[in-house]
Amino acid sequence: MGKVYILGGAQTDFERNWTKEGKGVIALLKEVVISAMENTNLTFKEIKRLNKKNKIAVYMGNFCAEYYIQQGHLGPLLTEVDEAFYGVPSARYEAACASSSVAIDSAATKIRAGDYDLTLVIGWELMKTVDSKLCGDYLGRAAVYEKEAKDIEFPFPKLFGKLADEYVKKYNLDEKHYKKCLAKISYINYSNAKRNPNAQTRKWFMDERQANYRGEETNEEIGNMLCVSDCSQVTDGAAVVILASEEYINENNIKNKPYIKGFGHRVAPYLFDKKIEEDRENEYILPWTRQAIVDAYNRANLTVDDIDVFETHDCFTSSEYMAISAFGITKPGKEYEAIENGTIDFNGSKPINPSGGLIGCGHPVGASGVRMFLDLYKQVTNTAGKYQIRNAKNAMMLNIGGSATTNYSFIVGR
Amino acid sequence: MMDIKTITVIGANGTLGVGVSAIFASFGNAKVYMVSRTLEKSNKAINKAAKSVKANSIMENLIAKDYDDIEECVSKSDLVIETVVEDLKVKEGIHSIIDKYIKPNAIASTVTSGISINKLSECYSEENKKKFIGIHFFNPPYSMTLCELIPAKCTNKELVKEIKEYLENVLIRKVVIVKDKAGFLANRIGFQFINQVMQYAEKYKEQGGVDYIDTIIGLFTGRNMKPIYTSDFVGLDVHKAIVDNIYEHTNDYMHETFKLPQYVEELIEQGKIGMKVDEGLYKYSGRLVYDIKDKSYREIKNYDIPFIDKVIEKYKIGDYQEGINIIMKNTSLEAKICKELLVSYIVYAIKISGEIAKETTDADIAMAEGFNWIPPYALMTLIGKDKCKEIAKTNLGIDTKYIKEVFDNNIKSKYGYEKFLKAKR
Repeated sequence: MGKVYILGGAQTDFERNWTKEGKGVIALLKEVVISAMENTNLTFKEIKRLNKKNKIAVYMGNFCAEYYIQQGHLGPLLTEVDEAFYGVPSARYEAACASSSVAIDSAATKIRAGDYDLTLVIGWELMKTVDSKLCGDYLGRAAVYEKEAKDIEFPFPKLFGKLADEYVKKYNLDEKHYKKCLAKISYINYSNAKRNPNAQTRKWFMDERQANYRGEETNEEIGNMLCVSDCSQVTDGAAVVILASEEYINENNIKNKPYIKGFGHRVAPYLFDKKIEEDRENEYILPWTRQAIVDAYNRANLTVDDIDVFETHDCFTSSEYMAISAFGITKPGKEYEAIENGTIDFNGSKPINPSGGLIGCGHPVGASGVRMFLDLYKQVTNTAGKYQIRNAKNAMMLNIGGSATTNYSFIVGR
Repeated sequence: MMDIKTITVIGANGTLGVGVSAIFASFGNAKVYMVSRTLEKSNKAINKAAKSVKANSIMENLIAKDYDDIEECVSKSDLVIETVVEDLKVKEGIHSIIDKYIKPNAIASTVTSGISINKLSECYSEENKKKFIGIHFFNPPYSMTLCELIPAKCTNKELVKEIKEYLENVLIRKVVIVKDKAGFLANRIGFQFINQVMQYAEKYKEQGGVDYIDTIIGLFTGRNMKPIYTSDFVGLDVHKAIVDNIYEHTNDYMHETFKLPQYVEELIEQGKIGMKVDEGLYKYSGRLVYDIKDKSYREIKNYDIPFIDKVIEKYKIGDYQEGINIIMKNTSLEAKICKELLVSYIVYAIKISGEIAKETTDADIAMAEGFNWIPPYALMTLIGKDKCKEIAKTNLGIDTKYIKEVFDNNIKSKYGYEKFLKAKR
């Protein structure tokens, strides 16, 4: 089967508040699709040509537009962007914060199967239409709502706070030391975001000291040991990647484009407590997250030694902490080593989130999978600008939905 | 990179003093002596500073001081920033003290929007003159990242470069280096525009005046706040000080647009200086506006200007080009006013930037990062050069020489226009 190539894409400036600008989803999609087309030299004429042959399709990732903007049936939205999309097969894919990874996977599958030559994958979310408490409640639908979110203020910080508690217990860590490591993760992500011109927090201040000021007025506790500085942002934004078949690349003489080397997709028990109970003997705290990554390595025939840069799902610092061993950068329980010795720093040997991640770059939930994937593309094509990791050949991402319930991993490289 | 470990902010309890102290204590991780009239004021300022960057951790870097400690603070600092009241005599007094106690390798600076940097540099000895520079921050510094750097005649050139690098890389500022001309760059452009809008309000007082013009040049024209409302927000007294100063000390082709309209003078005389006292050009309790014709407050009108609603409908769905074309093709009086003001802004911003900044595109940085307004070059791209030229020539009667200078080149904006265009009145 042919390879699935990545032609490039675009993301919106995650600093923007589209509600404040008075704009909605059509403006958001129009801007991001047009800039992705410009970046990849794709024209509406070419879209029409491919559509005539039924060789192009659109995959849209979004978590819960029904709540945030009262809009369902999202697949056809691009027909409102341009008439070139009339007739183009298009549907919405959903897996909470991993929504757009499912969209990527589905788009890649259709290309691999030979059905389509070109696919546009779009992830987006407009979250700033509501206040943070209501936003937290909406996001609670990514957990088992009745049991884990209903009538709970900010359910997700509490679930990932539980993950932090379980970590300390399972690996017998010193809580103070663990919290310091979480603070460092937060600080690294904020610092990296300063280099990213599309990062939501690029003008915000955060240092290690502030991230360690737990429980203070400007850094309140929000979920057990997690504080505001441990959390990703409420963000508006969209991201697009355009995938192409090997045939299309060859026909159009497109050179030096990376391709998808591997993927992993695993679903863990929905309830967080069941995740922990399922396999207490396993050396990994979240074995299905680890498995999704192992699957990607196996499909790519690569190991952690081959990966030059990572983008991970730091919805909370405790999830990035967990990802370090899930990626295989350290043994489980030894994640602190990679945090303390600089391994995951921007200039480290296994940099994580040069983009700033969800904490620094922002987390429009339905967009995050494509945003990470686009950042992998940028890194391996040496187009990441100020946040470029030198000589990046292979890049890996982990995108999770819910409390690490849906786990998606991709490896992109050349 | 420059190593600034300790700084002194004099006048630290003022709005800018608080904001600037916070920026240095946070991004710069510098120890900041905050000097105000009383220790109590300085202590209050410390709390405000921490809030302004949403980080209590910076309080470890902030030290409350009063004027009794000024000599000690200055003598320990790598950088001294004066942010006291905009009064030459008061500022001169402070700078004479700084001159006396400043360390050999330290930097002395002032934050002012109205006083000549060269004039203040005269407070310094020949040796110390080399290390004196104006650094103009914008309010509030945490979200407005513009910094105007104004070297005096004797300021060491290498120092200017080093400070610029420090401000950009450590304090995450957007820096433009400008000449020591009244109002510097951003205020010269911004307040020219606002004052001209105020003049238009007087000219069109029969049609409605203040709220009428503010509607025509409202948020959909690329700003977060309506222009006259902005002036009320910063204070009409501040507005007056800025435009009077520019009117007195400059003389360009827009000279007369810096003349404060009589009706604004009258409001200031009555103490109605804007939001801080609840009334100015608007009255905040009751959603009222000042009617120039009747010299009294009345309800804000919802003007029936159909083209504005059409433009907003286009912007809502991201059709920016189509939106601006609606304005350009419309022949109503309101559209004519809108077009004239927008193109006048583009030409003046670029022209003045060419005269007092390093690059004409510095106008883009100034207006985007200091005012949150659509940058002139981005607006030019949106409207189209030919259309801009036509309006500049036929409607505004601008000198062909200037039109050539501004438009006949290949300079492009580094900014997009999209985020500035609000789909709102």
